Amino acid sequence: MTTDNNALRVDTIGNLIDPKLKPFIKLPESPSEKPHLIGSKCSSCGEYFFPKRAICPNCLKDEKPEDILLDNKGKLYTYCIVKAAPLGFDAPYAIGYVDIPEGLRIFSPLTECDKGKIKIGMDLELIVDKIREDEAGQAVYGYKFKPVSL
Amino acid sequence: MRTVYIIGVGMTKFGRFPESNVIELGRTAALNALRDAGINKKDIQVAYAGHARTGQLYNRECGVGQSILWELGISGIPISSVGNFCSSGSTALREAWMAVGTGMYDVAFAIGVEKLTGRAGKGRPLTSDGVELLTVMGFSPPIYFGNVATRHMADYGTTPEQFAMVAVKNRKNAGPNPRCQYKDPITVEEVLNSPVIVEPLTLLNCCPTTDGSAAVILCSKEVVSRYTSKPIEIAASALRSGPYKKCKDITTFGSDRLSASDAYETAGIGPEDIDFAEVHDCFTIAEIIHYEDFGFCKKGEGGRFVEEGMADMGGKLPVSPSGGLMSRGHPIGATGLAQVAEAVWQLRGVAENQVEGAKVAFTHCAGGFQDTIELGDVQSSAVTILKRGW
Ligand SMILES: [Zn+2]
Repeated sequence: MTTDNNALRVDTIGNLIDPKLKPFIKLPESPSEKPHLIGSKCSSCGEYFFPKRAICPNCLKDEKPEDILLDNKGKLYTYCIVKAAPLGFDAPYAIGYVDIPEGLRIFSPLTECDKGKIKIGMDLELIVDKIREDEAGQAVYGYKFKPVSL
Repeated sequence: MRTVYIIGVGMTKFGRFPESNVIELGRTAALNALRDAGINKKDIQVAYAGHARTGQLYNRECGVGQSILWELGISGIPISSVGNFCSSGSTALREAWMAVGTGMYDVAFAIGVEKLTGRAGKGRPLTSDGVELLTVMGFSPPIYFGNVATRHMADYGTTPEQFAMVAVKNRKNAGPNPRCQYKDPITVEEVLNSPVIVEPLTLLNCCPTTDGSAAVILCSKEVVSRYTSKPIEIAASALRSGPYKKCKDITTFGSDRLSASDAYETAGIGPEDIDFAEVHDCFTIAEIIHYEDFGFCKKGEGGRFVEEGMADMGGKLPVSPSGGLMSRGHPIGATGLAQVAEAVWQLRGVAENQVEGAKVAFTHCAGGFQDTIELGDVQSSAVTILKRGW
């Protein structure tokens, strides 16, 4: 299932996002916007981080690296197809690592990546979508990457 | 550091023991080690217990070593817990090695124990400690190694058949070893056709869920002659954590390369001097990468190394002659010391699956993940090099 972000109000999706992931996801505020992951950037040495860091580990100078919206596109570094899923996840699904232009690698579930179509190096873009169900069967949202639509 | 020797080792059988608890398992292995060393329990001066899941599973975060040794009438000495993911047992050994090597103590005990069959989520992969964010996103160790496997296949042409050959080899090695959980031979086809966990890894490419314990007694050069004329020397005991380089090559483990190079340097030897190795084959792809990271073969040639029989008994460098984690099982805190116990029996020339004339052994344990979604390395890697001390 891929969610049409415009169909659900931002605050509705916001409430469905896993609380642990909330600080890392910026939802679109208008239909023309796309979701982004929120990383951080050290004001002293310029290093990017995802997840956000409390202090820049490189130079220890910036104790509150500034939040920045990361590029929502990337390339698939590697992946696997999960058949024996952790509790709440619906197998089979693809999950892998996506390299984004800031020089970061993002661990992410992948969607619309059927076997045969999925390929290392493929161009992907970020979406916000259901990633699993909680103990009560409620949909829990998070981020995913999907192939860039041509 | 003065020279430190191993004078006694002991293990339980590894398997599923629903009626046993961690204290009974630990007590059995520790008693076997005391008897093997022929040592009076009063001679033990310090002890370290490696365990990684007893807190989460049995509300026993601390005190496991004290409880085990209390049952054997050993008390009053310094005893502490060592938790370091899959390297917990190896780290306990390293602490004991340092305690004796620095001259603070003459005789030390290292005990490793774990009981994993008590965990919930039967049939689902074991989760990893301290990775909340990753777990929210569906992370599990098989998923990590599945990702590693896909990239290794893409970069080097490694095949699922080559992964399977690791499992087949290690199961064949386990045949004569009574301590292994699984001993029946398997074929490449059986491995490939077993249920898929995360493609490209099937069930028989993953180590099983296991209970067990292992223990090792160490002593200084000054006192070793009181106990044995055939001690095993600890030529090196190295430990590293993950270096976490951004966007690193996922088909090599930085912490493993660092711990191995430390160990080679301390021991003053290279991979060509090793007679056999017991490595952390938690997944078959991991063993293939270990061949490369430890210099047993060149980068990218790990698949061919196993396919051409180099890691077989009688090959260029036999790997996991005991059966490895794949067959023995992987009770986390016990594994590193079980590898050392198996290596000691090899060096004494009394192993069931004996490497002829083995004089130098290499053992390796590694594991744990950092909770960064952009993850790149394992949290702990321990390498021990052992050699005949006579
Ligand atoms: Zn900085």
